Amino acid sequence: MRALDYALREGWRGLRRSGSAGILATAATGLAILVLGALLLITSNVEQLMAQWSETAEFSVFLRDDATSEQRGAIESVIDRSGIALGRTYLSKADALQRFRRDFANLDALAASLEDNPFPSSIEVRVRPDAEQDGRTTALVQGMASLPGVADVRYDREWLSTLTTGLRAVRGVGWTLALLVGLAAAATVASVIRLGLQSRYQEIEIMQLVGSPVAFIQGPFVAEGLIQGAMGSLSALILLGIGYLAATRWWGAGVASVLDGATLRFLSPSLVVLLVFGGMAVGALGGFAASRHAR
Amino acid sequence: MIETRHLSKAYSRGLYALQDLSLTVSRGEFVFLTGPSGAGKSTFLRLLLLQDKPTEGEILVNGHKLSTLSRRDVQEYRRGVGFIFQDFKLLKTRTVLENVSFVPEVLGMPVSQQRRRAFQVLKWVGLQHRASAYPQDLSGGEQQRIAIARALVNDPYLILADEPTGNLDPDLSLEIMNLLREVNAGGTTVLVATHDRELIRLVGRRTISLDQGRVAEVS
Repeated sequence: MRALDYALREGWRGLRRSGSAGILATAATGLAILVLGALLLITSNVEQLMAQWSETAEFSVFLRDDATSEQRGAIESVIDRSGIALGRTYLSKADALQRFRRDFANLDALAASLEDNPFPSSIEVRVRPDAEQDGRTTALVQGMASLPGVADVRYDREWLSTLTTGLRAVRGVGWTLALLVGLAAAATVASVIRLGLQSRYQEIEIMQLVGSPVAFIQGPFVAEGLIQGAMGSLSALILLGIGYLAATRWWGAGVASVLDGATLRFLSPSLVVLLVFGGMAVGALGGFAASRHAR
Repeated sequence: MIETRHLSKAYSRGLYALQDLSLTVSRGEFVFLTGPSGAGKSTFLRLLLLQDKPTEGEILVNGHKLSTLSRRDVQEYRRGVGFIFQDFKLLKTRTVLENVSFVPEVLGMPVSQQRRRAFQVLKWVGLQHRASAYPQDLSGGEQQRIAIARALVNDPYLILADEPTGNLDPDLSLEIMNLLREVNAGGTTVLVATHDRELIRLVGRRTISLDQGRVAEVS
């Protein structure tokens, strides 16, 4: 406990002595956490939306104009027996036209000018999320395409998988970038602490000669890095918070209207804590690396 | 207390700082180690402080074979050894009291005990009234007395002094030696490396003379 108290006290003193070099190291750690935090903020929001979209997955079975009611009944029976549907709705040709007029009111003139109703009747099926994930929906959709009376089946989830792949790539690049910036931050912290080490060589020499425990010799440098990391990561999170508030204020309404009322969310408290600890770990690592020869 | 057996320390190109040195210093003894520059006095003290390792031979201090000590044992051993250097090695950014209490502080002693013990030894060396001064505000003699206080603060069984009077005039040198004699009178073994023959004569204790890394004379 006394070693910890001494380490924190001397670490803080060392940080104050380091001046602008200490600020640089703190900023480097902050940048690493800012990159990682921004990445997590973006990906967690996109993931949340994707989860929402996955939960509301559905497919449409478009019927041929000449499909009989028996054929429609057989199709509905296949859907019901599959066990993957949360519900289904039959949309007649007239319903489809009405929906088009409602959704695209500005094209009403075009719709009115049509002699025949070109919209096919369809069955819209809402799918259970687990069936969506384990591939049963895809199998059913493929099987239904060949049923009598079926003109087409639309189950357009490719964009979702493209988005998933894109998100994975963004996450990969982001993590690599965060790791690189994190290593650079640790190296900067180590360099700054090494400078402090040089200026305290006599103190360290005396500590070694009197048989001071390693915790007392190395502890202050690790603590200095730890404090730098904490300050850097807290600054980064404050900046990220300001950025989030600004984005919510400027684009929040737009996002909500495009994405079915969804709102942007900030990082969860556990992620915030993890990021602060991450920054502290980066700093402590730099301090440990710089002082490992001081023992 | 200190026993060396065929101790040698070689540097590059076959140059020996110490060669086949076998000597003994008894518990509670005050011994001078003398000789010209390059005789091996400082090297011998460096080996005793475990700042360096011998090339050959053994050193036993207080029954411990120094070459076999683990890192933790080295720390423990050093806690029993006080050191005094020619250049004092005082910390300029700390006051006199802080310089002395620095040792118990970095050994994990409670704060109240650190201060009490530091005051005790400062009083003993007669500098309690300079407790809040900084080393650069003190004379050379006062600085060396602070260094002695720092060496004593952990109540060591052995004091190693490397040219402790090298930067001081004869009167102050004798004053420092008298202080070390008092330390010795309390039972602490004292080993002083010096080339000041006059001082040795005035203090009059057993003297081991080194020359080119070997014992030249014991008187």
